[in-house]
Amino acid sequence: MTRRFTALALRALTARGASVLVIALAGDAPGAAADGTITGTVDVRRSLLVTESRPSSAGLGAAPRRPIEFRPAVVYLEKAPGGAFELPEGGRASMDQRDQVFVPHVLAITVGTTVDFPNNDLTFHNVFSLSKTKSFDLGRYSRGKSKSVRFDRPGVVQVFCDIHSHMRAYILVFAHRYFAVTDRAGAYSIGGVPPGTYTLAVWHEGEVRDTRTVTVSDAGATIDASFVIR
Amino acid sequence: MRPRPRPIAVAILTTVLWAASPRLVRAQHWPTEPVALAGGRLLVGGDVSATFGSEDPGWFTYTDYETSAIRRLRAGVTFEARATDRVAFLAEIRAETGVGVTPYAWYVRIGPLASGLVDIQAGRIPPVFGAFTRRAYPQDNPLIGSPQTYQYLTSVRADAVPATADDLLSMRGRGWLVQYPVGDAVPHNGVATVAAEQWDTGVQVRVGSQVLSGALAYTAGSLSQPRVGNDNGGGQIAGRVAWHPVPALVVGVSAARGVFVADNVREARPDAPAGHDDQRALGIDAEASWGRWIVRGEYVANAWRLPPLDTPRIVDPLTSQAGYLEAKVRLLPRLYAAVRGDTMRFTSLQGSAGDDTWEANVSRLEYGIGFTIRRGLLFKTSVLSNWRDGGRVRESHLGAVQLLCWF
Repeated sequence: MTRRFTALALRALTARGASVLVIALAGDAPGAAADGTITGTVDVRRSLLVTESRPSSAGLGAAPRRPIEFRPAVVYLEKAPGGAFELPEGGRASMDQRDQVFVPHVLAITVGTTVDFPNNDLTFHNVFSLSKTKSFDLGRYSRGKSKSVRFDRPGVVQVFCDIHSHMRAYILVFAHRYFAVTDRAGAYSIGGVPPGTYTLAVWHEGEVRDTRTVTVSDAGATIDASFVIR
Repeated sequence: MRPRPRPIAVAILTTVLWAASPRLVRAQHWPTEPVALAGGRLLVGGDVSATFGSEDPGWFTYTDYETSAIRRLRAGVTFEARATDRVAFLAEIRAETGVGVTPYAWYVRIGPLASGLVDIQAGRIPPVFGAFTRRAYPQDNPLIGSPQTYQYLTSVRADAVPATADDLLSMRGRGWLVQYPVGDAVPHNGVATVAAEQWDTGVQVRVGSQVLSGALAYTAGSLSQPRVGNDNGGGQIAGRVAWHPVPALVVGVSAARGVFVADNVREARPDAPAGHDDQRALGIDAEASWGRWIVRGEYVANAWRLPPLDTPRIVDPLTSQAGYLEAKVRLLPRLYAAVRGDTMRFTSLQGSAGDDTWEANVSRLEYGIGFTIRRGLLFKTSVLSNWRDGGRVRESHLGAVQLLCWF
């Protein structure tokens, strides 16, 4: 009988980006267990409005109207299996600034990832965050230029533009790799999950909206876990 | 001359706060985003600021006889109701110590073209002249005080004028409480060169793109005396052209000309020569930004023409030149520092006892810091050093702190 370790990431993510407390627990597991996959959909039925600028009566004209940006959900395991924290050193991701919108609106990364913030608008942008997980201010820079930030702590980082108050995005920094961002159909898939019982959480627009207990059997089955967010 | 609280304004403010309150209660904290109601058709934003500063015996920071810009509580609610994609109604209701509740702005905005290149606004509209009036909100002003062009009370009034040059010279450096023999005899504060505390009523058209735009407005009042109703049978035409050649720079040129002197002055002195009753101004403004720096500057040349009545007469226009340079640098994500140098200079006037500037020249240096406690909650503190070459108090160093939150 082999022995495996499971790490519990307590309160791995909260809406306010709480820090992670990691406790290592020992347990027994069968030697021939196969990894499973958790798939499903997240059906967002909440009414979403355009992220608006503050209404200002001081303008000499109307601000251009914008469509609602795609706002995916993030599904992740609150309890990360053993080995989850042996992450490769530093990846790279990008959050674009285009038509006064951050693209993507939600970025999910692992600890140690460096995120580039290229400006592809004709106007200046000033990316900043005051989140406890990562506080930064990139200053003003113009089209064609990019600045980057490395995220070294897990949690939620809210990103804003100091010039355009309606620009808002989220970066979810995980201490493990068991997470997925939903696609436009709301579908997600988390693969390579070792057998075990986990708490699956779905996050959307700043808050954990739902959690569910799922069990991946030793046979490495595909588990379906779908959510409806109202 | 400040508008009195109106029951309708109180009713609207109460209604809007009531409508927004469930959202606030649910969120259990002050929201950081505007409140969207009716499926996004109605947007509500708000701001509250509390400013506490030193006593100002020289009246350098007063915006009227009773209110100092560094000693006041202010709350405002702005809402935008979108009837269609091209028609919206905007209003801002403000409650302020010493003033009460006033409808600061209310106007309809029409976008006749789908391209958004043209906007028409009618009602109590934002001023097109200069740059500061449209960013005079506490959250847009890196310091606590305002540039003197937009706040400092001169010895000129619209509803009362000096009969002689000596009358005017006797009021040098005391714009906070001015009394003249012609017109309204009750002492009252003079006007700022360009009013930032009150908006004018009329129609404004803006045409342009991101690179080049122009705005033209016809309103009932004048730069220094915005009005809802007309008190002199005239109006003002004002315009501004803004050029944005690169993202880092915007340059604006403004001009305005309007009838300033009120009818009660003409009624008091029917013998006053016609045509000496207007205000004219020319302004240049610029803003440059790069990295963590923003630098702004503005220059305003202004002239009031008052009727030449008795000897020694006020023959020439009462002109002034004012300018300020402001810089802000972000030191940390939550912390910035800012400084503004500011001066107003007035032309000479011949009186019985010799010539002197018709109003006392005045300068100000303000510097301070701002600390963001959280998004939408800002603490500011600044020092305002004022100098004036006339009046009872000629030098004053003031300190102020301000806490403001907005959504």
